[in-house]
Amino acid sequence: MEKVLNRFKNVRFDAPRRQRWLVTSRNVLLGKEADKGLIFRLFMYLILIDTAFIYVKPILYMLTTMVKDAANLLDPAVIWVPRSLFFGHLEDALRLLQYGQAFTISMTVSLSVAVLQVISCAIAGYAFARLDFPLKKFWFICLIFTFIMPPQATILPMIIMFKEFGWINTYWPLIIPAIFGHGLKGALFVIIFRQFFSTLPKELEEAAKIDGASVFRVFFRVMLPISSSAIIVVFLFSFVWNWNDFYYPSMFMFGTKEVPLSISLSRLAASLAAEAEQAGPSIFAEPIKMAASFLIILPPLIVYAFTQRWFVEGVERTGLVE
Amino acid sequence: MIKGRFRLNAVTQRKLEGSLFIAPWIFGFIAFIAFPLAYSLYMSFQRVKITASGIEYTPVGFQYYREILLADGGLLYNDLIPFLRQAVIMIPVIVVFSLLIAILLNQKFWGRGWFRAIFFLPVIFSTGQIIQEFITQGEGTLSFVEQFAIAEYAREYLPDSWATPVINVINSFVLVLWYSGVQILIFLAGRQTIPLSVYEAARIDGADPWETFWKITLPGLTPFILLNLIYTVVDLFTFPSNPIIAKVNTQNYGLSSALAWIYLMIVLLFLGIIFYFFARVNRASHQR
Repeated sequence: MEKVLNRFKNVRFDAPRRQRWLVTSRNVLLGKEADKGLIFRLFMYLILIDTAFIYVKPILYMLTTMVKDAANLLDPAVIWVPRSLFFGHLEDALRLLQYGQAFTISMTVSLSVAVLQVISCAIAGYAFARLDFPLKKFWFICLIFTFIMPPQATILPMIIMFKEFGWINTYWPLIIPAIFGHGLKGALFVIIFRQFFSTLPKELEEAAKIDGASVFRVFFRVMLPISSSAIIVVFLFSFVWNWNDFYYPSMFMFGTKEVPLSISLSRLAASLAAEAEQAGPSIFAEPIKMAASFLIILPPLIVYAFTQRWFVEGVERTGLVE
Repeated sequence: MIKGRFRLNAVTQRKLEGSLFIAPWIFGFIAFIAFPLAYSLYMSFQRVKITASGIEYTPVGFQYYREILLADGGLLYNDLIPFLRQAVIMIPVIVVFSLLIAILLNQKFWGRGWFRAIFFLPVIFSTGQIIQEFITQGEGTLSFVEQFAIAEYAREYLPDSWATPVINVINSFVLVLWYSGVQILIFLAGRQTIPLSVYEAARIDGADPWETFWKITLPGLTPFILLNLIYTVVDLFTFPSNPIIAKVNTQNYGLSSALAWIYLMIVLLFLGIIFYFFARVNRASHQR
């Protein structure tokens, strides 16, 4: 007994061993470098999971609310997981949004604007990054100004202008500016392309030029094919932002029945609110709105799910900025 | 002689090619930015009447500006001042938060791809109607804020004019997070511009991560902080749900144009202040 205790004491007060033990445990907990330790890792995951939850929660809420039927909605025990699935709200939302028509419009507008903006902003960005033209500095300041200017400063004259052209209540006011590298956040896309092209090595173009290629050939055959990462970033931004945009369509297409989904949603919300005012609040308003929201974000979500990998890589490689 | 002319030709040719490339953009700029802007400046001094036969203008001078700036506070100040206060608080919160998240996301850890995919979600949804739905749905608040009665503390210790915006920001903290999508992206992209070798050198010299952050990462990211400040300001000030922006409508072209111009000046002034401070801070840190 005595012996055992003694040995135990020896072990405990065996200084080098204790030190070793301390060092290993410290290395495990704090890490050899502070960003490798267990505590730091736990802390990091804590923050990330918390924030990720904040981002995901509204989407989860949307998904669970829209499949609740009357019984589930009224049952106080049901918060997240409904007892049964009910797709009636989705059907209602499909009908109320005039989904088929609005979807086609939204898709046509966003896709064509995204494609046009990718091309036109790439051309303008390339000119700003690599080519020489008169008053380049001045035009660059104009570009920055376009970026920081609130669209409201030009919206009224544009309405008048497009009215003169007879474009009001058509898609042209949304699409035509995109041909020229403008439109929704066009300046930002030009800046992204400019930054991207100025990070590419100059040797590429020089080699092509020595081989006798014209500037157009250099751009379309050499520069564009290697800028897929910038193209994906701009395309996704442009598509999604145009898809979600409410402001421009509400200004240019206020008087038509054929509206994109974003307007359709706000009309739906307005009519539900009006109904609530007349007949008192309905428990079905919320799930229908959620179902409508879900139907609207579904297409960009699918696009994002497919392009997500290239997008994340692209962002890192584009060097969005200097 | 021949050589000189050839060179001149090459330069002109280069300029010509460049002009061809930029021509569509410049045309667009004139048609969709410069001309409407000038037109709206013109309209802001006119009473505009839309009739069946055309548009009638009656010059009114500075009447609308006087009305907005001096006479009727309801048009500008009632919305602008709370909004500006809130923006002043929100902007640094957004930038600091996105910096933190970007640095965390830049670490190598298990599940990084998933987290990145989730953190880019705001880039997709933070525009448009959906976010509006989230606001009305009450997803903007955090439960711990209510539990710890943070609002009460703020009300107690801050002057009243500042307590309200602080409470607003805290209450809509989730929205602040939702606004930070692009900013996280910019910081992530910016972080890639700092070469790895610098970090290795620092590690060999025995710098701990804390020092590395302050001495390498943060200085390396300063241009991106400026960029993010600008982006955040632009984003906040041009958000369609912004109270002043909603007032620019087709009911009174002249008055709305004047309002839009005043607002544009405010945005430029705000950005000017940021540039000024940033330049000063930058200079100070370089001298140190």
